[in-house]
Amino acid sequence: MAMREMRWRKRLLLPLFLLVLTTIYVVATFRITPQFSEGLVGPRFLPLLAALLMYAALVYVIRRELASDEESGKGAFWQPVAVVLATAAYIALFKPFGYSLATLLYVYALFHIFHYQQGRPLRRLLYAIAVTAVFYGLFALVFGIRLPTLLDII
Amino acid sequence: MDFFLELSQGFATLARPDVLAYMVLGFVIGTFFGAVPGLTSVLAIALLLPITYSMDVVPALVMCAAIFMSGMYAGSITATTINIPGAPSSMMTAIEGYALMKKGEGANALGHAALGSMIGGSLGALLLMALMPLAAKASLLIQTPGKFSLVLFALVVIVIVQRDAIAKGLIATMLGVMIATIGIDVMQPIPRFNFGTEMLVEGIDMMPIIIGTFAISEVLYQAHQNHGDLRISLSQAASATIRRRDFLPSFAQIREIGIITYLKSTLLGYGIGILPGVGGSMAAFVAYADAKRRSRRPDTYGNGSREGIAAAETANNSMCGGAFVPMLMFGIPGDPTTAIVLGVLVINGLQPGPRLLETQTDLIAPMFASLFVSALVLIPLTLFLLGPWFVRIVSIPKGLLYACIAVVALVGSYVATFSIFQMALALLFGILAFFLRQQNYPTVSLLLGFILGPDLEQYLRRSLSLSDGNPIVFLTSPDSLFFLALLAVFIYFMAIRKPKQAGIEGKTTV
Repeated sequence: MAMREMRWRKRLLLPLFLLVLTTIYVVATFRITPQFSEGLVGPRFLPLLAALLMYAALVYVIRRELASDEESGKGAFWQPVAVVLATAAYIALFKPFGYSLATLLYVYALFHIFHYQQGRPLRRLLYAIAVTAVFYGLFALVFGIRLPTLLDII
Repeated sequence: MDFFLELSQGFATLARPDVLAYMVLGFVIGTFFGAVPGLTSVLAIALLLPITYSMDVVPALVMCAAIFMSGMYAGSITATTINIPGAPSSMMTAIEGYALMKKGEGANALGHAALGSMIGGSLGALLLMALMPLAAKASLLIQTPGKFSLVLFALVVIVIVQRDAIAKGLIATMLGVMIATIGIDVMQPIPRFNFGTEMLVEGIDMMPIIIGTFAISEVLYQAHQNHGDLRISLSQAASATIRRRDFLPSFAQIREIGIITYLKSTLLGYGIGILPGVGGSMAAFVAYADAKRRSRRPDTYGNGSREGIAAAETANNSMCGGAFVPMLMFGIPGDPTTAIVLGVLVINGLQPGPRLLETQTDLIAPMFASLFVSALVLIPLTLFLLGPWFVRIVSIPKGLLYACIAVVALVGSYVATFSIFQMALALLFGILAFFLRQQNYPTVSLLLGFILGPDLEQYLRRSLSLSDGNPIVFLTSPDSLFFLALLAVFIYFMAIRKPKQAGIEGKTTV
């Protein structure tokens, strides 16, 4: 029973999140101040209509999820979380570390998360260097795009 | 007449070595992404999108067309050889192709898939070229209220086509519409939903939505799905030995399938392609079901029917031509790939509409030519050259593959505007799309809602301001009335009639 409750609670997280998001959106809609009146169908009309349809569909989905006994899809939990954290760190370090170092670390981290070349750290590092170099070649050399560098060196 | 002259010049442009090289490169990329299970041609074009900032528009569009065509065909490769459809549109091919593979006739099944793709793809491209001037003339007749009803029709079709999950389709579409409302209002110079930040005043760019929805979410989804089993089994690959000479379908087999099957599937695929948000899977399914219904040997279906393969593959490739019609004439994408091609057009300052055909045929004609040549020449050529090694090519370690995709996606979203904010947005939309995918919400609807939302609002408010706020204008304008009537017909057939039938069937079986 507790397991079943946990399952539907997990399935309800997304619709509930969207419900909160829609409510914030509706509040922001009422803060729109038109410069001139267009009658009923002004700058607030479509956002309010979209929110209304969203509420109706979300209520329907939540009711169905509550009644359903279906199991949510199985899968690893930590791997996508690790990918998100690695990606967030990559974005944060992209400019300060420069393309080369940030990408090398990011690719190495992704190889680790995806178990690529497990137990072979040197080979993993060589592959990470190769991937970093290949895409540097593509973006900087082929397409002539200026990528961020560390201390104007790499 | 001028248009057809421009078209012939488009073929001449395609023959230029640099443009031809981009087409071949696009075809190879599309074949790889289409064949690898989990990757799609949509993802390939999404990754290409940021790079198009640094490319000329003609090679970019030529490459997109080649990726689209090859990606649609290549799904049949792993569908046949290892029973894993490389793309969702090859689901029907997997049923019949793999059954033939088990009988030792896998190469023949691949040959029929390539032949069907070649016929459907090239006829679909010819139909596109032949009917484009007519579509352009027809689109000139549509006024603002008619444009509103057309966009409304497109949005409703996008939602109701999700037959088992209309509510989820509606949520994803409305989410896209809501994201599109962020930024300056479509009629008045006022910011909406910027929450006090400068960065949101200009609105959300299409780029992070596409990269996040199709690339980042894919990396997250694969990380979620796989626990170390990240490579197609080599034993499966080894067992799928294919000889080149076995690819050629015999004349007797083609005659048994019949020219009617090829032609009807082409027309079905093309027609379905014109409908917004429907795509190749539906085209393949409808053509397959139709071929089965009127087949002289329906018992072979499920046990390796060449007719089934031919119908499905012909339809999903002819869909490519159809999908370009609403995108080029109205900015309404027929499927996710054309939605991203629309992004390529917009990035290069091209505005979809009938004037595009009048004034910039020199830019889009090579794309049509690429669609045609990719189907007619490159599909059979690729099968002949790479066929025996298809399975080995797609058995690349996924850890390496998804690391590469993540780097291209993130660096790509940076180079488009040199903005870290765009990278962060791509990650944010990637996380959102991952959760949506995980719970079976159609993420394509999110993108289509994002693209069509501003048009819907703009045409609605313009129509009402022109008619002093009188909504009757949508019923008195003949073009608008036509699209509203069409909408009613679609709702009846797709959302009302079918569920009732299903209900009756359900009752009788219980």
